Amino acid sequence: MFILASKKAQYRGAIGSAVFSSARFSGARLSGWPLLGFILCSGLASSPLHADETRRCVMDDRNREVCLSAPAQRIAALSPGATELTYAAGAGNQVVAVVSYSDYPPQAQQVESVGSHTRVDLEALVGLTPDLVIGWVTGNPTEQMETLEALGMPVFYIEPRTVEAVAGTIERLATLAGTEAAGQEVADNFRDGMTALAAEYSGREPVRTFYQVWDQPLMSVNNEHLIGQVISLCSGENVFGDQGRLVPRLDDEAVLMANPDAILAGGMGEENRHWLTHWEQYTNLNAVASDSLYFVPPSLIQRPTPRLLEGTQLLCEKLEQTRQKRKDS
Amino acid sequence: MATRLWQPLGLLAVIAIAAMLFSLTVGSAQLSASQLWAVVQGQGDALAGTMVIDLRLPRGLSAFAVGGLLAVAGALMQVLLRNPLADPYVLGLSGGASIGALAAMLAGVGGVLMSGSAFLGALVSTFLVFGLAHGSGGWTPSRLLLTGVVVAAGWGAVITLMLALSPAERLPGMLYWLMGDLSYARAPWPPLLLLMLTCIVLIPLGRSLNVLARGPQQAAALGVDVRPLEWGIYVAASLLTAAAVTTAGSIGFVGLVVPHMLRLLLGNDQRLILPACALAGGTLLVLADTLARTMIAPEQLPVGVITALLGVPTFLFLLYRSR
Amino acid sequence: MSRLVTQDLIFDVPGRSGGTALNFAIEPGQVWGVLGPNGAGKTTLLHTLAGLNSPRSGQVLLADQPLATLRRRDIARALGMVFQERLDGFPATVLETALIGRHPYLSLWQMEGADDYARAEAALEKLDVAHLRDRLVSTLSGGERQRVAMATVLTQAPSIWLADEPTNHLDLHHQSAVMALMAEQAAEGRAVMMCLHDLNLAARWCDHILLLYPSGEACWGPRDTMLVPSALERLYQQRLATVEVNGAPVFVPVQ
Repeated sequence: MFILASKKAQYRGAIGSAVFSSARFSGARLSGWPLLGFILCSGLASSPLHADETRRCVMDDRNREVCLSAPAQRIAALSPGATELTYAAGAGNQVVAVVSYSDYPPQAQQVESVGSHTRVDLEALVGLTPDLVIGWVTGNPTEQMETLEALGMPVFYIEPRTVEAVAGTIERLATLAGTEAAGQEVADNFRDGMTALAAEYSGREPVRTFYQVWDQPLMSVNNEHLIGQVISLCSGENVFGDQGRLVPRLDDEAVLMANPDAILAGGMGEENRHWLTHWEQYTNLNAVASDSLYFVPPSLIQRPTPRLLEGTQLLCEKLEQTRQKRKDS
Repeated sequence: MATRLWQPLGLLAVIAIAAMLFSLTVGSAQLSASQLWAVVQGQGDALAGTMVIDLRLPRGLSAFAVGGLLAVAGALMQVLLRNPLADPYVLGLSGGASIGALAAMLAGVGGVLMSGSAFLGALVSTFLVFGLAHGSGGWTPSRLLLTGVVVAAGWGAVITLMLALSPAERLPGMLYWLMGDLSYARAPWPPLLLLMLTCIVLIPLGRSLNVLARGPQQAAALGVDVRPLEWGIYVAASLLTAAAVTTAGSIGFVGLVVPHMLRLLLGNDQRLILPACALAGGTLLVLADTLARTMIAPEQLPVGVITALLGVPTFLFLLYRSR
Repeated sequence: MSRLVTQDLIFDVPGRSGGTALNFAIEPGQVWGVLGPNGAGKTTLLHTLAGLNSPRSGQVLLADQPLATLRRRDIARALGMVFQERLDGFPATVLETALIGRHPYLSLWQMEGADDYARAEAALEKLDVAHLRDRLVSTLSGGERQRVAMATVLTQAPSIWLADEPTNHLDLHHQSAVMALMAEQAAEGRAVMMCLHDLNLAARWCDHILLLYPSGEACWGPRDTMLVPSALERLYQQRLATVEVNGAPVFVPVQ
């Protein structure tokens, strides 16, 4: 115990009056170790920005305000979704740490991994001296994140749950990273694209839809889930929309009872359509009868990132095909 | 006669300290011994300092405390139940703690609240088993064991239910806790102090435990107050296990294998075995945790996996050799 | 040296109501033998006298103090029990097993000293198991284990011995040796009570006899008044023929 106390005191002295940041939490917990100041100093020394850049404060998805005195130059993204959104915000060059399965964009695979989003290698993470950590609200382990906060790192939690939130998150990340221009462009493109799709496809004849998230166990989504919102945007009627859980676990019987007109599924990996072939044995299903079993690559629709635009487009087109088949029959 | 105690204990203490130092130098960030020495002296760069003081030291001390607590609790359970196959979880305590912890995770709370919930679950389980095992005229070890096993199975069913109903994103955290995980242990001093306190209290009772291990009637005939002592052991073992499980989830094998191994090597004097368990259990878990966090870095393994992989072959080897 | 006295003692055998109230005293220097068929409650009586079981009614006095009011530790310093059956859950050496007899005399923080070891070794020597001192008790034969159990009580050196069938498993030579040891203890001023299933050993070595009938009935007294063939035949439900050898009666079961 005495070693700890004296070490802290010595580091405090060693840092001096360097620029340091603080994260003000809604719970008013004290943070702001001088260590962080040291980290920032070393980070800033290698950046082209100047120390008189405006201070920036942004609200995260846990309603905490995170303030940085300068754009983040060493960003750690602790989930594949966070990585993708950070790159989308134009801050790809500033990412120094990712976690496993951060496969998009391809450049992210070259960045050093610090474990998985459920168990981070804290040592490796700290060793990379990040000045901003992007966490996922429900994905990262609470205790490890608390440890990071106790070490004085600014942690920014995100988890977009609506279409608008995707754009908003990109803008917020861009602000933190100092890449406002690039991020704004991406966000605007996304917004405009989604609005256009909404305009085109909403108000059409509803198509009873079943979106399959997983096969063993059988899982779907409800209307609150982002994919559920996308289905509504495409004028689809999610047959499990009013389920209580965000990702309900079901069985084949429930699907047979619901008798959807269209079944959309991803699969494990990008090219796996065999989940759909499972349904072909139930020839009485409307979806099977009208040959409305569609494959949607999961990476385009299961992540709350700009690729959702592409996925939404795909999903709307598939549902439109079902509508056409209905008209023709 | 006293040297009989101090020699093996001294050796174990030296090994324990070596293991701690080893764990401080090894990790995802490679630190040399000279860097470590610099940190201890107060020089050295801040990053190494953070590594050692803020990350590795609390984790290592927690690992030592948890390992020691589990090993001592296991030894006590084996004496109480007069069964060399007893471990700290046999009476359902870890199940109760798991339910408390998982419930906290489902509710989205972490930190102190989760620890408190786990501890509460452990205590509830302890009292439940003790109350249920009470027959007419008190409880016998076999009755206690049977009740504990059944209650443990009951908790297991509840845990499975909680896992089945949990939202998908909470599952990995829950599974890691159930497998035993030290990745966020930051407050080592409560369990460490408990361990030291327990050893100090138990050593004078060691001889009474030796006599108790011969059977309650023999023990009573030799002047041991059997019922109060058994009660005391039960409470002590439960407290130690609850503290361990609250800190790091349910890490298996340490509580079963370490006392057993030490008995094969050092004989059956509880005055030696109990402090030896504290030292050896702590050492084992420190080494296991070091492996768990470095073996496939940056991926992190739960330490329970390593204790099983290390403990079982070692135990089999010793058993084979002792024949 | 202490005496063990019973006052209207009825010991508790499940399923048996009442029985004769026992009022006897085991005085220093006496060797008592408890005789009875299987199931008469000999072991239960001995455990009650040792304070391990509660009596149904009445009480036991150790050195004129009720057993129930004494601390176990104090009882253990005065009264030693050789059990009929043993629990050897964990491995232990013969010497360690004898050494636990010193437990009542050592305080919490005290380790066994040279004197304690000497007593244990002497006890092992006396019971002819000194050559087995470093063997694990689980590897001993029945007779050797029995003698180690006696050595434990000898190390405990109580002034009252309660022995439950001490000659079980022992060969003839060691039977005689053990009985001689009991007699020696009595001669040195201690009090001895033994449960025996061998009538003839009781006849030869005991000076007082307690007969326990399965019904709960009991009678006791000096040996010569108790070892009456008719009473013994009723006790064991077995016809006996009596012979005299070396001045002591020997009872032989006949058809």
